[in-house]
Amino acid sequence: MKHEELEESVPLYAAGALDRVERQALEAHLLSGCASCHSTLKDYQSIAALLPLALSPSKPPRSLKAKIMAERSPEPIPAQSVPSDPARSSLDPGDWMDHLFPPEAPVQSAALPWALGVGLLLIVAVGGYFVWDVWTQRSSDIAKIQQLEAALLEKSTKLAGVDREVGDQTKALADLRNELQQRAHEAAETKERLAQRETDLEETRTQLIQRSGGRTVETPQDEFATLLRIPNVNAISLIGSDIAKQATGFLLYDSRIQKVWLYSVNLPECPTGTTYQLWAIQDKPVSIGTFRVDTGETTHLLVKKVLNFTLAKTFGVSLEPSGGRSQPTEPMYLLSRS
Amino acid sequence: MDKALQHAASTIDAALLARVVKGDQQAFSQLYDHSSVLLFSLAVRILGNHEEAADLVQDVYLEIWRKVSRYDIGRGTPDAWLVTLTKSRAIDRLRAKGTQGSRAINPPETTTAVQVTDPDPIPLGTQADQDLRSAVGAALAGLPQAQQQAIELAYYGGLSYGEIAAQLNQPLWTVKTRIKLGMTKLQAALKQWQNEGSPQ
Repeated sequence: MKHEELEESVPLYAAGALDRVERQALEAHLLSGCASCHSTLKDYQSIAALLPLALSPSKPPRSLKAKIMAERSPEPIPAQSVPSDPARSSLDPGDWMDHLFPPEAPVQSAALPWALGVGLLLIVAVGGYFVWDVWTQRSSDIAKIQQLEAALLEKSTKLAGVDREVGDQTKALADLRNELQQRAHEAAETKERLAQRETDLEETRTQLIQRSGGRTVETPQDEFATLLRIPNVNAISLIGSDIAKQATGFLLYDSRIQKVWLYSVNLPECPTGTTYQLWAIQDKPVSIGTFRVDTGETTHLLVKKVLNFTLAKTFGVSLEPSGGRSQPTEPMYLLSRS
Repeated sequence: MDKALQHAASTIDAALLARVVKGDQQAFSQLYDHSSVLLFSLAVRILGNHEEAADLVQDVYLEIWRKVSRYDIGRGTPDAWLVTLTKSRAIDRLRAKGTQGSRAINPPETTTAVQVTDPDPIPLGTQADQDLRSAVGAALAGLPQAQQQAIELAYYGGLSYGEIAAQLNQPLWTVKTRIKLGMTKLQAALKQWQNEGSPQ
């Protein structure tokens, strides 16, 4: 209990209204030497002692005095030899004054100072040990807290580093995404420009048709240029043989329309009575068509309608007598790469 | 209470007690004459029985005779010592009987019969004693009934405030406050009586 609570219980103590536990708590507090509570209790005890004055007076039996005078011992017992009665309550009315106001005379028992000294020493020792134990525990706790704080700081630093890396990578990813979007945008623009060009080309072609009176004018070169933009057309490269090392060729084949284009460059001029013949060689050579290269002509485009020969592995061009042959009779001038 | 009031409230001369300490039988006889009515009245009030009260008062005076050497005027008035000793012994006896609850509430035996049939008048003491009795009676009567009842149940019935609360079916704090306030008012009233010029 706090001092204030104990002091507030003093009036109840004086009136005899405290229970045993509270009474003993206050008595222990008073015996500890609280001057304030001593003074307060003395005042209230004096008031309490006056209460019987308000009672209607009752006269004791006349014989009582004689009995008392007869039964008392010859002399009052000296204070030093008054025995204490251990069976009585903790604070008898005759004793409370002794409890609360110890006599100033020398203590009655010679052993009491020793007992008090030993008790005090014991209290100091126990108190010192308690303080030391609390201090040690507190120091240990502080060291643990400092270690935890250091570990926390290290983890926080690492976390900050990871955060920075994540931030950098996120930024790089965003840059890549922006660049990708930029490229996609550029590709879209290119595709749009290409579509525009095709539209322009189609318009030009339409104008040419209209100018030519409705006839379709499509040169082999035009058709060849168109073929280059068709993804389904197969392209095969031909190189010149030993007898025509300067010659090269380029063969396109569209399986949808079963048409072949051979664009030859630097083939020798055909002698009189001869012609070049194009062969598709699968199991055996099959003639695709013939063409001539005249004087001063360095390039030639051959366009032929053919049957399906998608299984052909090799193509070749040989110089044959005019009109061609069913099988090659002369060496190949151009031959596709195997 | 200040010392002046304590002195005024004392009905027993401290010098008389000092003579008793020295074994003066005449002084002890005078002490009995001065205090027996007060202590017997108190015992009757607590025990509710004249015979038991007489028996108790006899024990108290014998104890006073044995322990009077321990009394020190500096620790309290002679009245306070005698009253507190008597009250404590009476409460102990009441508790031993296990009837403190009913005794505390029931009014004590009236002393009217004794006063009428006894040819010896009750000594009322000096005028100062009578004034003090009147002042205490007035102070107690001036308390609210609930506070007076709570104090009397504790003081004469030996009941704790918890037991009083249970008996009166009141909250603990209510009873506690009533007793505390009552004691404080009594103290203030008696101090005022002292300040207004009580007989010294």
